[in-house]
Amino acid sequence: MNQPVSSHSGRRAFLRQGVFSLAPLALAGLDSSAARGAPLAPKSPMGSSRAKAVIHLFMSGAPSQLDLFDPKPELTRLEGKPLPPSVIGNQRYAFIRPEAGVLGPRFKFRRHGSSGADISEVFPYLGRIADRLCFIRSMKTEQFNHAPAQMLLQTGFSQPGRPSFGSWVVYGLGAETSELPAYMVLSTGAGISGGAALWSAGFLPGEYGGTRLRNQGDPILHLSNPPGITREAQRAALDLAAGLTKPRPAAADPETSTRLAAAEMAFRLQASAPGLFDLSGESRATLERYGCDPAKPSFARACLLARRMVERGVRFVTIFHEGWDAHSDVAGNLRRNAQATDQASAALVEDLAGRGMLDETLVAWGGEFGRTPMVETNPTLGRSLGRDHHPQAFTMWLAGGGVRPGITIGRTDELGFHVVERPVEVYDLQATMLHLLGLDHTRLTFHHAGRDFRLTDIHGQVVREALA
Amino acid sequence: MLASLFLVMLQSPSAPDFAREVRPILARACFKCHGPDEGARKGKLRLDESALARLGGRSGNPAIVPGKPGNSPLVARLDAKGAQRMPPRSSGLELSAKEKAILRDWVASGAEYQRHWAFVAPVKPALPPVRQADWCRNPIDRFVLARLEAAGLKPSREADRYTLIRRLSFDLTGLPPTPGESDAFVADERPDAFARLVDRLLAHPGYGERWARKWLDLARYADTNGYEKDRPRTIWPWRDWVIGAYRGDLPYDQFGIQQLAGDMLPGATREQVVATGFHRNTMLNEEGGIDPLEFRYHAVADRVNTTGTAFLGLTLGCAQCHTHKYDPVSHVDYFRFMAFLDNAEEPELELPPEGAADKAAEARRKVAELEKALPGRFPNNSFDAAFQAWLQRERARAAARVPLVPTKLSSNLPRLRHEGDGVVFADGDATKNDIYNLEGGGSFPGMTELRVEALPDDRLPAGGPGLSYYEGPKGDFLLTRISLEIDGKPVTFTRATQTAGSSAMLVLDDNLQTGWGVPGQPGRRNAATFFTDKPMPAGTTWKVVLEFGRHYVASLGKLRLTVASPAHKDAPPLMPAEVENALASKDAPAGKALDALRAHFAASCPELANARREIDAARASVPKGPFTLVMRERPADNPRPTMRRHRGEYLEPREVVSAGVPGFLPALPAGAATNRLEFARWLFSAENPLTARVAVNRMWAALFGKGIVSTPADFGLQGAFPSHPELLDWLAATFRERGWSQKELLREIVTSATYRQASDPRADLSAKDPSNILLGRAGRFRLDAEMLRDGALKAAGLLSEKSGGPGVFPPQPANITTEGTYGPLAWKVSEGEDRYRRTIYTFTKRTAPFAFQATFDAPSGEACVARRESSNTALQSLTLLNDAMYLDAARALGRLGARQADDSAAITLMFRRVLTRPPTPADSALCLSFLQAEQKRLVASPADSKALAGGESDARSAALASLARVLLNLDEAVTRP
Repeated sequence: MNQPVSSHSGRRAFLRQGVFSLAPLALAGLDSSAARGAPLAPKSPMGSSRAKAVIHLFMSGAPSQLDLFDPKPELTRLEGKPLPPSVIGNQRYAFIRPEAGVLGPRFKFRRHGSSGADISEVFPYLGRIADRLCFIRSMKTEQFNHAPAQMLLQTGFSQPGRPSFGSWVVYGLGAETSELPAYMVLSTGAGISGGAALWSAGFLPGEYGGTRLRNQGDPILHLSNPPGITREAQRAALDLAAGLTKPRPAAADPETSTRLAAAEMAFRLQASAPGLFDLSGESRATLERYGCDPAKPSFARACLLARRMVERGVRFVTIFHEGWDAHSDVAGNLRRNAQATDQASAALVEDLAGRGMLDETLVAWGGEFGRTPMVETNPTLGRSLGRDHHPQAFTMWLAGGGVRPGITIGRTDELGFHVVERPVEVYDLQATMLHLLGLDHTRLTFHHAGRDFRLTDIHGQVVREALA
Repeated sequence: MLASLFLVMLQSPSAPDFAREVRPILARACFKCHGPDEGARKGKLRLDESALARLGGRSGNPAIVPGKPGNSPLVARLDAKGAQRMPPRSSGLELSAKEKAILRDWVASGAEYQRHWAFVAPVKPALPPVRQADWCRNPIDRFVLARLEAAGLKPSREADRYTLIRRLSFDLTGLPPTPGESDAFVADERPDAFARLVDRLLAHPGYGERWARKWLDLARYADTNGYEKDRPRTIWPWRDWVIGAYRGDLPYDQFGIQQLAGDMLPGATREQVVATGFHRNTMLNEEGGIDPLEFRYHAVADRVNTTGTAFLGLTLGCAQCHTHKYDPVSHVDYFRFMAFLDNAEEPELELPPEGAADKAAEARRKVAELEKALPGRFPNNSFDAAFQAWLQRERARAAARVPLVPTKLSSNLPRLRHEGDGVVFADGDATKNDIYNLEGGGSFPGMTELRVEALPDDRLPAGGPGLSYYEGPKGDFLLTRISLEIDGKPVTFTRATQTAGSSAMLVLDDNLQTGWGVPGQPGRRNAATFFTDKPMPAGTTWKVVLEFGRHYVASLGKLRLTVASPAHKDAPPLMPAEVENALASKDAPAGKALDALRAHFAASCPELANARREIDAARASVPKGPFTLVMRERPADNPRPTMRRHRGEYLEPREVVSAGVPGFLPALPAGAATNRLEFARWLFSAENPLTARVAVNRMWAALFGKGIVSTPADFGLQGAFPSHPELLDWLAATFRERGWSQKELLREIVTSATYRQASDPRADLSAKDPSNILLGRAGRFRLDAEMLRDGALKAAGLLSEKSGGPGVFPPQPANITTEGTYGPLAWKVSEGEDRYRRTIYTFTKRTAPFAFQATFDAPSGEACVARRESSNTALQSLTLLNDAMYLDAARALGRLGARQADDSAAITLMFRRVLTRPPTPADSALCLSFLQAEQKRLVASPADSKALAGGESDARSAALASLARVLLNLDEAVTRP
């Protein structure tokens, strides 16, 4: 997949589809509302693409790459000793002091598959699908606190207010289904540091915002009719509404027809969404593969739902699994989170592959930063054997969607502190994922507050090695 | 595109209008590389200024030869091949044939540049001539009609009266009219009926809530701090100030000046200080381990950007990282703006409730009385004997205590000052790891202990003694290391004790993460004592180094060091300094010293503990007001330097920058101070070209659905050209003339014929002017979230119009603010009328906003919003159909209907409460047949009937609720007509 990002004709087609029409018209003293049309209509990508959908497994809280994917025996050798100040430089830390001693890996590593990827024993299931994964061991970020780092990964900026990853993608590609929202967000584990800004449309029109699925009550807010309103009664209600609206002169207002259409979509959504959440059609083997109890919200259930969403044409799914913030007892933290996520993450990739969907579905796994080679111990806070936040190096993996499987990109130094080979910034990851979807991150822009904004701001290089 | 061509056609074909046609093309296609930003400039060529374009770039040839497009590279390069073409293909920018022709014609006609329209102060223009003069009701209409006539279009007929009162009521109060109000207006045959209606609505308290909400969007108001922890804050008194300011029609210049710098006004009133909460609406990151000064910088940058957007319509944020690519705002200019806003502290202001001062005086009197009576209440009337015994015991073990009076104070950042008698006070900024160095002359031979007193003070957060103001408990501190040197030689401590808190021994260990702190005791004096291994030696100088730190700011704000050499090992408890001195004195206490000792004994002896409870109760009886977030200018002797930050990055500070405004805007008045107050006044100076235009444009946008400038946050070169430039200037000049009265300007606009037009789409307009730029009809748009909810509650008769106070918690699913939220907030639904307050009073949590508002495009308070997006989504439809609050409203409305004599009357009443106008016969027939079908269904299914009506109600009430639900959902119900 080494063709130029977009051919000229591709761009022209894109312009015709009206994605860019939101900005330049302003020059003539117009605003965008007339040109808005149907914001969610499917659009051709700018260039050829492999991925049509994304499932982002956002491991918020930041898993320890040093105990999962990036083995550093040197840390065992140096255990308890401080790192030289020259390594640490002027890095600021959230909790530890720079002179904290080193903590060796808490788990044994083994090489897996023909690719020989290093994966620690705490992730046995991922180990079995190592050959399907593309590891990036040289991820870097600018932020060392959760909320800003999560926002950077999700929106390209460390402060809230910008459109999220999924919003940009739906803005660029439109929706494949009108039965379900194009951008869905699930969360399991603890609370998410970055809050609702992580799936907000930011300054993009509200239609592009993520739809939050809930573990309690209606999975989609207000999906159920009020008590006493049957589906037939709901139909009659919408018919009456249309009957009272259509004869009015205002019915000629395109906004009115959009709202009538939205009500119809809501009605269809009420019919189709329960099917999405009804797992009774899934085979026992599938449920077991994920480790999913259909009755209980879990990361496994979220992964299975994500597959079902993509099957139904959902464009972008983000599952936030928060809880990796191992300031104390990193080993126990990883055991618990591995228990919750390892089997299902692997099952999702395998299941997509088995159904022939993996080629067109990009799966991404990772947190907002890494964890320190140094130990976090703090009697005042009652912490021991933990790791603090580490922005200089962390590991993510990608699978499917045109990603080259079975490779590892980048390398860190023998302490796992710095990237020494092929640094991949957060913006590079975003550019690469957009590229796989057929979107050029430098041209997926929206004019706001005096300039054209992009997901990658002014940064980002596609990581070519990651492309199949 | 049609409309843009159409606009072009309005101009003379030969000489293109520079401002309207040429500059937008240059700005879009050229200025990024050939504009103000030196860093991004290519070929040393600038095209944003006439002289520079003629001078040319690196080649030395002029880019433009006026009158000679053939000799002008600017024109030739448009169609050049390969790398010569401009704009380059790699930029992704394409110019249409039409745009190229405009540039060519412009060069041919002499290539005249004009200053950007928005940077030239508005002058009240003459009214343009129109043919249909009798249509015009006021000057606004002349400007609108002139453009319509030039385009061969006619204005729309006047809207019917039901539409007018519905429109006006929503626009001016955010609420729909009642059927009674509508009837009165429809029946009012007086010629000034409309003007009377306007007067009534402008005076309605709801006007305050309606217009304050728009300001809250700009001010990024919320009731929580934002970011991960997102804990509650109290700043609703500022929100109420805004509502009050609108109700009272506080002139816009005062409105702005008080919010930006009310604390600096001479004799500032409490209200004026509350107003400065405007810029305290920035977020506060309390995530574990952040760098507090980094997020302070982000907050100040937000203040700069918000000031730019809200007052100036400038995208200043574009210049935070580098010189603005389009507007003449340099990178340094950005930080010069910042310097105005950077020099403030961020305290909380207590707002004691009504009558608190009287109650405090009364409490003081009572406390004095009770204290005086204390000795008499000693058991067995033996106070004097007990006191003498205590005195003897304490004098025997008291040690003379010598305060260390520092003559040299320094730290890594906080400013340390000696305030007398050894008391050291810290102010200014603090970090997560502060080191205080205190030095003085003399020595203390023979002394065996060094004591650190942590002292409370009202100037400190929560009364101190620590500087902690975020994440940790306010007023918290943690002393992690201490050292004492005499003549440069260290003194060794072997043991430490503390009056409270964690063990002071932790100060003496090597672990800088542990130390002495007294959490949970803000406003209290405590001390840690460090004992030396041997008596201190004689010397000439001493130096104490104190180190503080946690994962948040935890330095002491006020402290005192003393040394002593107590004869007894069991150190006495901590006592006030004058008590300690009196006890240690060789002379027997007398006079004032004796009084102090007696008072101290009475205030601390266990025998009087019960008696003292009354004193505590009297003290506690003084009501404490809420504390609201405000600004306070830093003291003149300790200003905060503002640094330029390379690429806008906190970690790359460069030179110190002084406050100032960029050259393209009017200068600050000569001789005036360059501070926040003068900056605020400058915004409203007669020469300022932007402030009035930006404000009137926002008001216009609220009434017509879009501004005269359709980019209300951007009046710069990339902003939209005004659809009616002369009208904008007329409004701006009029606004100023009428003393910046927002009500007067609104009155002018809503009484125009333009505003009173029908809003129905018209085929001829849809073809020629689909976006209604020329205003051949009134605006028609979806109601904002707040008006939707308030309107539904009002229609249902549920709305409480109670004003002000802390945020309320209307019904919504409980997990909105808990599930998946790092800083969960239990959404305890308010009781009584607080369930149905106006939506502006709903508690706003930034990371998990009230679902109804979020669904309908209300901002989260995380960024300044000048124009809400207005989306139409399936989730909105689901909310209107199924939200519990909407069901509440439908049931209540159904109950109102059920009181009517028959179905027809019920339908009419419900219809009118929701939609204002009476139903047509066809409407009634449709509603009736729905109602009958529903009633049939619900009679057949009593369970559904009961569930729908929410209690013991008959099928008719349930069916009426079902009908009400449809009415509340109608496009017409959610639209401002």
